[in-house]
Amino acid sequence: MSEEDRSAFEERSRALFHGSVEGVDMRVRSRLTQARHAALEAASASGRRPWFFQLGKWTPAAGVTAAVLGVALWLGSPLGRHAGSFTDGQPNLEDLEIVASADEGTEDAMEMMQDDIEFYDWAEKAANSAPAA
Amino acid sequence: MPRFDTLNGAWMAWDGPAPAPEEAVLEHARELDKFLAEIERRAFRMAEIALRDPDDALDAVQDAMLKLARSYAKRPSAEWRPLFYRILENGIRDLQRRRSVRKRFMTWLPGANEDPDNEARDPLETVADAAPAVPDLLMQSQAMQQLEVSLQALPARQREAFMLRNFEGLDVAETASAMGCSEGSVKTHYSRAVHTLREQLGEVW
Repeated sequence: MSEEDRSAFEERSRALFHGSVEGVDMRVRSRLTQARHAALEAASASGRRPWFFQLGKWTPAAGVTAAVLGVALWLGSPLGRHAGSFTDGQPNLEDLEIVASADEGTEDAMEMMQDDIEFYDWAEKAANSAPAA
Repeated sequence: MPRFDTLNGAWMAWDGPAPAPEEAVLEHARELDKFLAEIERRAFRMAEIALRDPDDALDAVQDAMLKLARSYAKRPSAEWRPLFYRILENGIRDLQRRRSVRKRFMTWLPGANEDPDNEARDPLETVADAAPAVPDLLMQSQAMQQLEVSLQALPARQREAFMLRNFEGLDVAETASAMGCSEGSVKTHYSRAVHTLREQLGEVW
């Protein structure tokens, strides 16, 4: 087969094929169009970023919300309540007031002072009278 | 002041590569649409010649479109054609293999060969005769039918090489990429295909 024959054969077969492509019926064309649209939809769907990549734009709002929620939960927990008793200072002040009032002006404190005076008074008299003999 | 423009709406975005602008994405989608629209009917006809069934051919083309769009849409558009045909040829081969298995299985069932609507019937029975059945067929249509019959009789790789090179107009490198073989193999397959077809059709054409 010569090159010319070969080329003519290739051209003829190509022309016949393209003629048959033009003759594809409307039903098939319609289905091909539907398939193309479905493919384009699939391409756009796969082109969208995964959901976790879209979290970036919500980061500030999510951060504030998480912080508020975390503080609320922590204060509501037993650990938070325990820590709160040291931070608010009120229980410690009450203890200090009790101690302070015991030292300064309560009835018990006065009795202790009176006992001591009587003791020192007796001890002084005993010391002055004993060595005279 | 120039920095404020760049902050408009984008300052909270993910700290990765900047997304392609909307217009570029749309342009890419339009390009893919144009490519598929330009190729779809030829792809269908090539699949129909290989599979001898329009519904199977439609399925194969639809599947190839979806796979290309899902997995390779972001590749440079120059790569789409060989990629698309590689996917299509793989799909055609899968369908032919499935048919062959189904046919082998169905031959074991009693009465399978008697059912005229049986899907596992011999595909050769559905091929149009070399001599046209309808006398008033146009000459072009007759010649194309004869070409189809001869193509279907070729070994699969020769048929692929011939259709991709001659019908679709892929060059040797693109055909090799689509067929998943070397350029030397493409040349050999193509040359043998042309020789065989020319011999078979020479007297008729």
